[in-house]
Amino acid sequence: MRMSSRFTLILLLILTSPWPLLAEVQDETALDIQVREIAKTLRCTVCQTENIWESGAPLAQQMRGVVRERLKLGHSPEDIKEYFLSRYGDYIMMEPPKHGVNWFIWVGPFILLLGGGLLLYKEVNGWVRGTPSTPAAPPPPLDEQARQRLERELES
Amino acid sequence: MTKGWQLTLVLILLGLFALFYQGLWGDPRHIPTVLIGTDAPMVEGPDVETGDVISLEQFKGKVVLLNFWASWCYECKVEHESVLQLHQLFKDDPNFVMLGVNYQDKLPDAQQYLKEYGTTFPHMRDLHGQIAIDYGVYGVPETFVIDQEGKIRYKYVGPVTGHMYTTITQNIIAPLLKGQPINTKS
Repeated sequence: MRMSSRFTLILLLILTSPWPLLAEVQDETALDIQVREIAKTLRCTVCQTENIWESGAPLAQQMRGVVRERLKLGHSPEDIKEYFLSRYGDYIMMEPPKHGVNWFIWVGPFILLLGGGLLLYKEVNGWVRGTPSTPAAPPPPLDEQARQRLERELES
Repeated sequence: MTKGWQLTLVLILLGLFALFYQGLWGDPRHIPTVLIGTDAPMVEGPDVETGDVISLEQFKGKVVLLNFWASWCYECKVEHESVLQLHQLFKDDPNFVMLGVNYQDKLPDAQQYLKEYGTTFPHMRDLHGQIAIDYGVYGVPETFVIDQEGKIRYKYVGPVTGHMYTTITQNIIAPLLKGQPINTKS
């Protein structure tokens, strides 16, 4: 094999190898995965619409640090979520905990959808029932005077 | 549509309207805290100016005002004069302590800030954000009042100026120092 062909082959092998993918998998330890899973459930209090895993805010970064430290100390994911709940209340959870008034958030949309559907059904049903099933009686014939006026108007 | 259905529809619409109204005109600073009435976390950190460790534990039995601030925070500058005035008002009471907590800041910036704007009470550094998280802080400035029994009695998000200054001094700190009930309505 000529030198240039060998070089091309090696270059091709390097470029087509899935090494970055492998490196990514190897970089993430079991602890990292646990941190990620917990961090995804906690709201970034500074950015509000993002979880602390996705947020780049310093507070979110520090919260991720707290999650990591507590996991290292042997705390369970539930203990860690409970800690954040005790500091920030339900607001810290990306999904509101299912208790008390929070149930309205979970079931409210379905109740509204059901209520709206029932209301629509009742209204449409009322319209259908109100529509006469037999055709309306034919209109009375035109008198001579009206017929002549119509003909004049059509001709003009 | 029957009268019952019409009434239900009107009630649902009124409910939705009330929710929107609250969202539009409610105070966005007012996020109910779960910390009121709970034990204040006994935090500690190095003094911004001297580096000596300040611990909240050493002020047990006193009324403590904790004020979270940062040199990059505009509203902290707005409230700074009021905060100094507040300290001036109660500093002679042996049962009152005021502590600043420097949040998400660089030490030289924090030191420069205190040099520039002046201070009459100690400030501890929140090195890794742990103090802020322990106190459920959303941003700065935030102010907490802790009673003699070490319980958090009041929290305010935003600058302590105008009517908030009056509320905190007259309705919260003064009654606590006299052992009287507080009035948290601003």
